[in-house]
Amino acid sequence: MLKVKNGDLDKLGLLYERHKKKLFGFFYNLGNNPSISEDLVQNVFMRMLQYRNSYSGEGAFGAWMFKMARNANYDFHKKTLQTGVLRSTSEIQIKDPIEDRLNEEIEREDNNALLQKALEKLPKGKRELLVLAKYKGLKFSELAQIIGCSEGAAKVRVHRALKELRIIFLELEIG
Amino acid sequence: MDKELFEIKAMEHLTGAASAADTALFESFLDKNPEYKEKFSELKRSWTLLGQLDAPQPSAQMDDSFFTMLSNAIQKNKKEESKNMFAGLFGWFKPQFAFGALFLMVGLGVGYFLASNEEKSSNQVVARDKETEAVRQKLILTLLEQPSANQRLQGVGEANKIVAVDEIVIKALLKTLNYDANVNVSLAAVESLTNYVENPLVRQGLVQAIQNQESPIMQITLANLMVALQEKASIEPFKQLLENQELDTTVKKKIKNSIESII
Repeated sequence: MLKVKNGDLDKLGLLYERHKKKLFGFFYNLGNNPSISEDLVQNVFMRMLQYRNSYSGEGAFGAWMFKMARNANYDFHKKTLQTGVLRSTSEIQIKDPIEDRLNEEIEREDNNALLQKALEKLPKGKRELLVLAKYKGLKFSELAQIIGCSEGAAKVRVHRALKELRIIFLELEIG
Repeated sequence: MDKELFEIKAMEHLTGAASAADTALFESFLDKNPEYKEKFSELKRSWTLLGQLDAPQPSAQMDDSFFTMLSNAIQKNKKEESKNMFAGLFGWFKPQFAFGALFLMVGLGVGYFLASNEEKSSNQVVARDKETEAVRQKLILTLLEQPSANQRLQGVGEANKIVAVDEIVIKALLKTLNYDANVNVSLAAVESLTNYVENPLVRQGLVQAIQNQESPIMQITLANLMVALQEKASIEPFKQLLENQELDTTVKKKIKNSIESII
């Protein structure tokens, strides 16, 4: 990223290849549909170009990138709320089980769909925490840097979000 | 273990962030506390479930859009760089120019004030110097009148410090040269007067002093001085001096040589 900052913009391509899936998954798991998730990924890289001079090289690049991703997601949903456009969630990706699919796979997909629903029901901040902590595999120190708290507080917050997710998941499972 | 500590330790344990010693301690704690063990198992299940969360692959269209955007950005950047090459030069220098101009103005202002102050002060210095010289001249005259040879020598020494002596001081020095009882004082007066040999009054005084000298050292000193000055007016007084029967033979030889040198 420092090379990009120093004017070697080509290097942003390398960063994109390395992080595009993580970012896409982050947006997708926050409840955005694939198309919006892709737009948001694009948005993050545009921001990286635009604000490349703000990158100091201190701290993990991932923390800086996900901080930007959070802001992009926040801005997007703020805008859609203002314009009254309903966001289309990844719910549309929940596919109907195909008959010849193995039961195990169907169950896994069902769980996944349920989990997505449970995540959607979680307050936004907690959902974001869980996605960052688990799905993106960030360290707690990086997570703390992104959300702006101590490492210990980040652990406690993830723990409580996880507990809340379980409760919602079980509720959905029961029906 | 309080609730918050358990929450922290549980997360460290789940994510593998705990050290081996901590892990062992935590597991032993769980074994001793079934209630917490159950809580941790539930948490672990949720964590595992969360791990199953996946996302579809982004489409190739995302790559296309990104690389188009990047390519546009690179081109735009290059254009801006070339466009700003000239403007950038000024852009880069602008603050420096502004500061430079500001400092120049301040410098000129300060310089102007300092220069005018300096002028004033140089005028003051000149005035002060004049006052000092006037005082010094009075001092010289007073010292040359003193009965003590030392004080008269001091007076001649003070005369050497004056850049432009006036007629009064010259006359006082010539008087010392001609009539001072102490040869050392007279010699000092000659030495002092050599500083003003360009002054006709001094040259004339020195020539007239030749006949008044009785001390051989004074006679030789004046002879040397006249040779150095190539003062033709001194030949006649030297000739008259040679007529003096009591004149030292060495002095006689010296004067004869001097006359020859001057001619």
